[in-house]
Amino acid sequence: MKKLIALALAGVLTLTAVGCSSQNSTSDATEKYGSDTLKLYNWGEYMGEDLISNFEQEFGVKVIVEYFDSNEMMYTKLQAGDSYDVLVPSDYMIERLISEDMLQELDLSKIPNLANLAEGVKNLPYDPDNSYSVPYFWGNVGIVYNHNNVDPADVEAEGWNILKDTKYAGKVYIYDSERDAFMTAFKALGYSMNTENEDEIQAAYEWLLEMNNTMEPVYVTDEVIDGMANGNKDIAVMYSGDAAYVLDSNENMSYWMPNEGTNLWSDAMVIPKNAENPALAHEFINYVLTYEASYGNSEYVGYASSNQQVLDELSGEGGYYEGNEAYLPRSGYDKDEVFHDNQTLKKVLSELWIKVKASKS
Amino acid sequence: MKQFRSMVYPYVAWIAVMIVLPMLLIVLYAVTTAGNDVTTFRFTLENFARFFSDKVFLDVLWRSLFIAVLTTVICVLLGYPIAYAIAQRPEKSNMFWVFVITIPTWINMMVRTYAWVGILQDGGLINSILGFFGIGPVKMMYTTFAVVLGMVYNFIPFMILQIHTSLTKMDKSYLEAAADLGADRLQSFLRVTLPLSLPGVLSGITLVFLPAVSSFFIPKLLGGGQYVLIGNVIESQFLTSGDWNFGSAISMIMAIIIMISMYVTRKVDTDPAARGKED
Repeated sequence: MKKLIALALAGVLTLTAVGCSSQNSTSDATEKYGSDTLKLYNWGEYMGEDLISNFEQEFGVKVIVEYFDSNEMMYTKLQAGDSYDVLVPSDYMIERLISEDMLQELDLSKIPNLANLAEGVKNLPYDPDNSYSVPYFWGNVGIVYNHNNVDPADVEAEGWNILKDTKYAGKVYIYDSERDAFMTAFKALGYSMNTENEDEIQAAYEWLLEMNNTMEPVYVTDEVIDGMANGNKDIAVMYSGDAAYVLDSNENMSYWMPNEGTNLWSDAMVIPKNAENPALAHEFINYVLTYEASYGNSEYVGYASSNQQVLDELSGEGGYYEGNEAYLPRSGYDKDEVFHDNQTLKKVLSELWIKVKASKS
Repeated sequence: MKQFRSMVYPYVAWIAVMIVLPMLLIVLYAVTTAGNDVTTFRFTLENFARFFSDKVFLDVLWRSLFIAVLTTVICVLLGYPIAYAIAQRPEKSNMFWVFVITIPTWINMMVRTYAWVGILQDGGLINSILGFFGIGPVKMMYTTFAVVLGMVYNFIPFMILQIHTSLTKMDKSYLEAAADLGADRLQSFLRVTLPLSLPGVLSGITLVFLPAVSSFFIPKLLGGGQYVLIGNVIESQFLTSGDWNFGSAISMIMAIIIMISMYVTRKVDTDPAARGKED
């Protein structure tokens, strides 16, 4: 018995040792940036396989990555005093971080690759001259469905209301965030997703309650990706990039951007005020915008790249995502909206959302 | 012993900073309104009123208590025979089996719970095997069954270890005495072993019930977010809606319920009728 334990311990120690020894020659980086460690806080399943290791090798640094699965979770940790060098929040959260003075203004001269930025994500309203944020990925939200089990004509005719079509009860994944859930309801009812009208909010709440009580939906976040790729359910509300990945790995799946409009969003890299290594953070942001890094990211994850050349190549003829309905976001459609930061509204929706989920039919 | 008394102070300081202070903060948050700064507080009981006046939250509370009690009962019923069987083994293999029971707890709870998703889901391990025999697929994920299974699986080691400890430290001569006095095996189990192991069962119950009643990760993953328990409500108050005051109030309500249940458990523990003949 003792031998077994000793063996196991030895194994653990060896692994630790190997893990440590792969980090070397970091003194140059320390000299250049003040420290050789970058703390990155990013979404789960959001980076190309080699992004971090390539960056570490090229610049002789060490990257510590932590993952969040909602902007709110990221915000809570940031507010609790945790320090990161680079964050990748979404549009409305960047709007909030800027207004609360939690971000550093970027030194754009240190990010020459800004010239590579795709037209569609430049100068968005939350940060009009990109002085705080550099787009990472962008896209919209749509319906992924299995076209063998769900009639495409139903999806196209009903739009978001397919989520309440009891023909498909028990076969639906709903993205577990009050923002996206209420967006679906608001759009299905023909309202703006930034509405503050109490009657409209009440109507959306009832729409979601009915959906919860008649459809046996399963509420998921990132698990939806594997779930749909494996074909576990027939309908899911998904972010376009995740959808692109699902379509790529399961040929039975299709993507539909409802005519009632949807959420157009972007996630961008920012440097918080309390970053310990802003110099290296700039270097990282600049690195992500290079052709190689952007290509690796976008091809692997399936989200629309913020690098114009990569976007064109991947979606164009012969590109990896040629013909994939979910890869290239719809732009210029007047019913598509960007989320705005609105704390009072968010609180109301968040409480209603937990009540929707907690209510049982 | 007196000369060691001063060694307690660091521990007292530790408790004050790590346990008492956070608890006080929770109480403070629970009875104030949002948006206070350090100097002025607006006290209110509205957070509690909000909880108790809303049927949805009360339903969630009931559901949480129900699932936690169910989990605890199953853990006792399954854990006791296992602990008993292990305690019957010779001392050397005893060690081995205890080791086997604790191995899963070396792995992070999240990872272990994710593994169950792979086992239970429609295209998962169990359904593939059933499908081989032409049965199913049986829907197991996102049901009460999956949530309770996940909880029992994660928390049963605490029950087994507690019962096992109280069984092994039991003085075997009681059993010999019982046999001498003509008790058969069932009688000596019911009248000697069971009462003597009761303290272990009770502390096992506490160790299983507490995490089960406040668990939020297992219902989220195995219940597909449909089995919203009180832990999920608290989590969402802190992480998504950012309403720390309401979240603290719910935490406090939970803490009070837990304190009451621990008090009741201790009452049973010290009740002479149930205590057995421990010296």
